[in-house]
Amino acid sequence: MDSWVKNERGQVQFKGGRHDWSKAAQIAANCPYFLLDDEDELVAEEEISCYNCRFRRWTEQFFVCLKR
Amino acid sequence: MKIYVGIDDTDNINQGATGESAKQIIKMIEDQRWGSCQGLTRHQLLLHPDIAYTSHNSSMCFVAEIETIYLESLIEEAGKFLERYSAPGSDPGLCVAREKLEGAHDLITYGYETKKRIMTKDEAYELAGKLGVHLSEHGGTGLGVIGALAGVGLRMTNNDGRFAGKLKLKPPGTIIDVAEIKSSSPVESVQSMDGYVLRRDERVRLGEKLKTVLLDGKRTLLVYRRESGLVWETCTNAHLRSY
Repeated sequence: MDSWVKNERGQVQFKGGRHDWSKAAQIAANCPYFLLDDEDELVAEEEISCYNCRFRRWTEQFFVCLKR
Repeated sequence: MKIYVGIDDTDNINQGATGESAKQIIKMIEDQRWGSCQGLTRHQLLLHPDIAYTSHNSSMCFVAEIETIYLESLIEEAGKFLERYSAPGSDPGLCVAREKLEGAHDLITYGYETKKRIMTKDEAYELAGKLGVHLSEHGGTGLGVIGALAGVGLRMTNNDGRFAGKLKLKPPGTIIDVAEIKSSSPVESVQSMDGYVLRRDERVRLGEKLKTVLLDGKRTLLVYRRESGLVWETCTNAHLRSY
């Protein structure tokens, strides 16, 4: 859980904000739930990245993982 | 007549994509020979924990040139499509507005407001009614009407959103001039992120994914220069995130 924190709503939020590209890629590479989102919603250059995953829900500063 | 068609909230966490729904409606319009459609754009709305979006709160809009007699059929069939094919649990909304709209300024203001605060369905219906814009819900809570209306307002700004899909030009790493980019793709302008419009003879190195944005009413390819770089390069998805 080093890369995650529970927010005030009990959701699992990524600690790296919106720009920790390497960490987001590293986590997704080992995640059994990773599913590539629609092409128009991809933001990371590394295809396999939490930032490109269908199960991330963006907030203004972070995203929450809907599978954790 | 020229119309704007806005669609929102046709997906759920596991299936569907609003962009895909919009593409299917475009196909329907063209297959029926009701008219022709132009670029589909994605518009980012407010990200807020109290808004019931699936994952990114964006809506889609396209422009269509149709015969006036087909307007009612288009609205009816697009609504039926959303009811039949939207993902379970989604809250689809449809907006159709004529280009020549008295009060377009109010719709544009509404579009910008949806980027800043939580809007209600009542507000959306009230504005649509006042302007004579078609707005309808097609399942679930129908909250997608907010984004559908906002998508049209934002498209009308001529300065918001990314075009759906990627350009197919030449392999990544190829360096070509602006004239060739324009002649071999739908790109109308190539400019830097700080607004410098490249001349036709300036050269650009193509990246992996070529996405365009709507700026000054033009389909625009954005480029940047690395520090001490001599050649322009196409922007990445990360650069384009704020569009």
